[in-house]
This record gives sequence, structure tokens and C-alpha cells, in this order.
Amino acid sequence: MSGRTPGAAPRSVAFRREREALWFELDGLVEAALRRGLGSLDAEALHRLPVLYRATLASLSVARHTALDQALVAYLEALCGRAYLAMYGSQRSVRGAVREALLVTFPRMVRALRVEVALSLAITTVGAVIAWMLMDVEPGWYDAFVDPGLAGGRDPHASTEALREPLYGGGNGALATFASFLFVHNAGIGILCFALGFAAGIPTALLLFTNGLMLGAFLHLYASRGLLFELVGWLLPHGIPEIGAVVLCGAAGLHVGRALVDPGRRTHADALLRAGRRASMVVVGCVVLFAIAGVVEGVFRQVVTDDGLRYALALFNGLWFFGWLLLGGRGRRREPVAP
Amino acid sequence: MNAFLEIVGPEGVPLRFPAASLAERAAAFFFDLFVIGCGMGLLLLLLVAAAGIGAGFPLFLIGFFVLRHFYFALFELLWRGATPGKRLLRLRVISRDGLGLTPEAVFARNLVRDVELFVPLVVLSAPEQVLGPAPAWLRALMGLWALMMAVMPLLTREGTRVGDLVGGTRVVRVPSASLVADAADRSSLAPPMAASAFTGAQLAHYGERELETLADLLRRFEEGRAERSDLHLVATTIARKIGYPGDGPATDPPRFLRSFYRHQRAALERQLLFGKRKESKLE
Repeated sequence: MSGRTPGAAPRSVAFRREREALWFELDGLVEAALRRGLGSLDAEALHRLPVLYRATLASLSVARHTALDQALVAYLEALCGRAYLAMYGSQRSVRGAVREALLVTFPRMVRALRVEVALSLAITTVGAVIAWMLMDVEPGWYDAFVDPGLAGGRDPHASTEALREPLYGGGNGALATFASFLFVHNAGIGILCFALGFAAGIPTALLLFTNGLMLGAFLHLYASRGLLFELVGWLLPHGIPEIGAVVLCGAAGLHVGRALVDPGRRTHADALLRAGRRASMVVVGCVVLFAIAGVVEGVFRQVVTDDGLRYALALFNGLWFFGWLLLGGRGRRREPVAP
Repeated sequence: MNAFLEIVGPEGVPLRFPAASLAERAAAFFFDLFVIGCGMGLLLLLLVAAAGIGAGFPLFLIGFFVLRHFYFALFELLWRGATPGKRLLRLRVISRDGLGLTPEAVFARNLVRDVELFVPLVVLSAPEQVLGPAPAWLRALMGLWALMMAVMPLLTREGTRVGDLVGGTRVVRVPSASLVADAADRSSLAPPMAASAFTGAQLAHYGERELETLADLLRRFEEGRAERSDLHLVATTIARKIGYPGDGPATDPPRFLRSFYRHQRAALERQLLFGKRKESKLE
């Protein structure tokens, strides 16, 4: 094989010379965007950024296949990576993201998890019914179902008067502390319900069941003294968001557990990813529900002592709660949230 | 350490990121824990000083809750995938599917943090808080499970924790980009040797790997990290192997090597355009 090779420089040299200016321009913009956010760029720079990025991506694709200068390819890899990070972080405004998460994604995800919500509700109800039936036979079961620390003396040995008193008492100053304590305590339990879903959902189901037992025992105790109407009036205003949120968090945990045990036609990793993203949005919505319940429980319940007003408040809470979950995010279409 | 993570961006071009090592992620995490601790202390002091114990404490409880559960998620949403600790170590969270980082992914990966860290701690130290009065075998089972979750990063191939699996995210290092001068584009430094054009046969010996080694040697020579004698050895070896005539390689090795690099690269790149790739001299 003879014949002299042309004396021209490698093609990649010309390739680099022609495009270098664009890369350096992108480099400068990306540096600023990574340091101070996209918001720090002016309108013209924002307009240039995607154009430069696509041009540089094209350079990268070409360089990977035609250039034999590893330093050049490595530079383009790094530059494109930096530009990707600057441009495809979470690009939406935080306020918009929060509004969308609560008003659109949360109710949609709750409806997507309706099987688990029904299951979660059923486990709680079964717990309550079993506790009720057992206490019908032997009231002493109460101690097994209700933690004495939580009951605070409200047990079968207390007089009817002593049981009635806490329903209308309270109003003792430290309402805000009480409300925030309730919120933190309950929201923590909700997150735990979700977290325990990773043990195949079994501890979640147990937690829901014992919660139901406690509820049933409580209801039976007050019913046996003819105070059921008063107790329900006391319980419902905050109970709707609070018990609702516990049931939803339980559903989130069960959903994750189900993905682990029975991923269906997906791989385990895919199923877990999909379930985890859906369930975590439900939990985030529930934290807001717990906050609302904390305010109602810590403040309104102590201040409003009239049964009629309490039932009216319960009705109001029920309306927005079910309206939010059943109607929220319908109509407006956007791309599917979970892949 | 040098593991790379490849994702396909929305434009359809694969991008490669250096994956963050476990040590870096742990360091970022402990820094964040430190920030949380300081934040809590400061919050308590400020609120109690401003509003007194009565009004300050409930606010502190809520602040404590938000910091404990949402510190990571809120920062990752606000700072495009970086918490203060990650920023310090130049790490970012990205979505494995290559699309933007969604709030769903951020919340998912951070809510699970609770399962990986706090639940194992509680299950191991005070199991009755999670399980109630549970029998010993159930406790042992739960302890084992909690431990599994915690050591997951040591078990998975990419060192991902459960939160990253659930959120579909990975932690990567922000690549740093700097473009060095091209050894084949230094006309002032390396005027092509007058009668030094190479024949096609002379350029048919070496492949991409040797070319890259040569480029590296030239770069090191220019930075003063390689001796002239190294270049002499390489130049005469190459000249002998390809049958290059004359004493150019022996008298001016840098000039010969630059010229050879330039021509060899041009030749290989020309072949590459026709889809012929020569990885190394062994092919």
C-alpha cells in the first residue's frame, strides 16, 4: 500500500475549532446557572441556553463516533452533564409544585390506590367491630385494646360523669401546644404506617388493626353509658381528617407492600418505583390532613362544646374532605405522574 | 470510585455522570444531619427568646417535625436536587429515567429515609415503640428486616439505597469540565516535519488505545511531567516498528511524535467515518 496520506489535520481538529465558541458560551451560562440558579440568567441567556445545549449535545454525539481525542470527548461529556443538571433539575416553581401536589396529584393518587384504601378501611373496621363484640361479652377486654397512657383514666372503672367530663372540658390555656403535639405525633404515625409497608405491609396492617381495636373499644365504652351521641360529636370534627389520614397512610403502606409481594407483570424494581412514588404523594397529602386535624382537635374541639355545632363542623369537614379526594384533579389532563 | 451512570436525556442523547461514592454520600448526609441539629437548636433559642416558652414551644414542635421529615425533600426541590451537604460535596440527585426530577421522586426517596435510618434505630433500641408488646421472634424478625434496609447500599450493584430505588433516582457528582489544548492542533509547537508525511502502511500499525497513550504522553511532556528521554525511547520504538526512515525521530523526538500523532489520528478518524474502528494494535 503506497501513496502519501494527505497532510491535513485530523477532522476532529477542524470540528473542534468550528464549535468551540458555542461550547464555551454554554459553559459560561451553565456555570452561572449551577451557582445561582436559572433565575439569575437574563431573558436573552435563557433563550440561548436550550439552543446551545442542543448544539453541544449534537457535538457530543458526533464526537463520540468520529473523534479520537479522548480529552475532547470527556470535556463534552462533562459539559453536557453539567448543562443537563442546570436545566433539568426540578424546573417548576415551588409554589406551583406544592399546589399541584396537593390539589391534583394527591387526590388522583388516592383514587389510584382505591383498592388499598378500601382494604385499609376494612382492616380498621374489622378491628373496631371485633373490639365492640368482645367488649359486649366481657368489658374487661378494654384494657387489652386501649393503652392506659392514651386512655387517661377513661376506662370501664370510671364513672359516667368522669367519662362525660373530658368531652366538654378542656379549654385550659395550652391549646396551641396541644394542637402541635397532636399533629407531630399523628403525622409521625402516618409516616411510620407508610414506612412499614416495606416489610411487605404486614406491620402496617397490624397497626391499622390495633388502631381499629382501640376505636371500637372506645366507642363501646361510651355507648354502654349512653354517651355515644356525645362521643361521636366530640370525635367526628377532627376524626374525619385524622382517621381518614391514618387510613390513607395505611393504604400507602399496603400499596408498597403489595408491589413487593405481587409486582404483577412488572419487575420488582419497576413495581416498587411506581408504588413508592404514588404512595409518597399520598403520605405528603396526609401530612397536611394531620395538620388540619391537629388544629381542629387542639383548638376547636376544646372551644366548641355545643353538640349541634360539633355535628355541623363534622358535616363541614366531611364535605371538604370527600370533595377534595373524590373531585380534586379531575378534568384537567396532564401527562401521567408515575412512569 | 470511577463508576459511571448513564441516563438518556429528553433529547435522546445518552449522558454519562460520575456516580457518587458511598463515602461522599455519607459525608454529605452527616453534614446535613449537623445542619439539622444546628437548625433545631437555633430555632428553639430564637422562638423561646422571641415568644417565650408558652407560644414558642408549639412552634418549635412543628419546626422540629418539618426539619426531621422534610429538610431533605424541600432542599432537593428548591436547589435542584442538592441539599447543603450535597452542594458542599458537589453532588446532585438525578432521575434515573433521564427526565426532570419530579416532586414525587424527591418525596419518595426522602420519606423512605425514615425507614432506612430512624426505624432501624428505634427497632433496635426500643422495639416496643414501633411494635407494641410483640413476642420476641417478631422483634427479632423486625430487627433483621430493619438492618437489611439500612445496609442495602452495601448490597446493591450501584450502591443505591432503598430510597433511590423507590424514587427512581441516583446521586451523581457534578462533572467538572475543562478543555485542554489539542495535541494535534499546535501548528506553532509542531510544524509538520518537512519530509515526514507518513505512508498509509506506516499508519496501519497502531490503534485508538496507543493513540490515546501517545496523546497522554505528549500532554505530560508539555506540563513538564515527562522527560525528553521518555519521548526519545517512544519515538525510536515507533520509528523502528513502522519502518520510518531517517534520524528525525532520534534528533527531535517531540516534533516527530507530534507529527506522528497528528497523522495517525487523521488516518484513524478517516477510517472511523467509514465505520471501521481499530481499538488497538492487536486487531
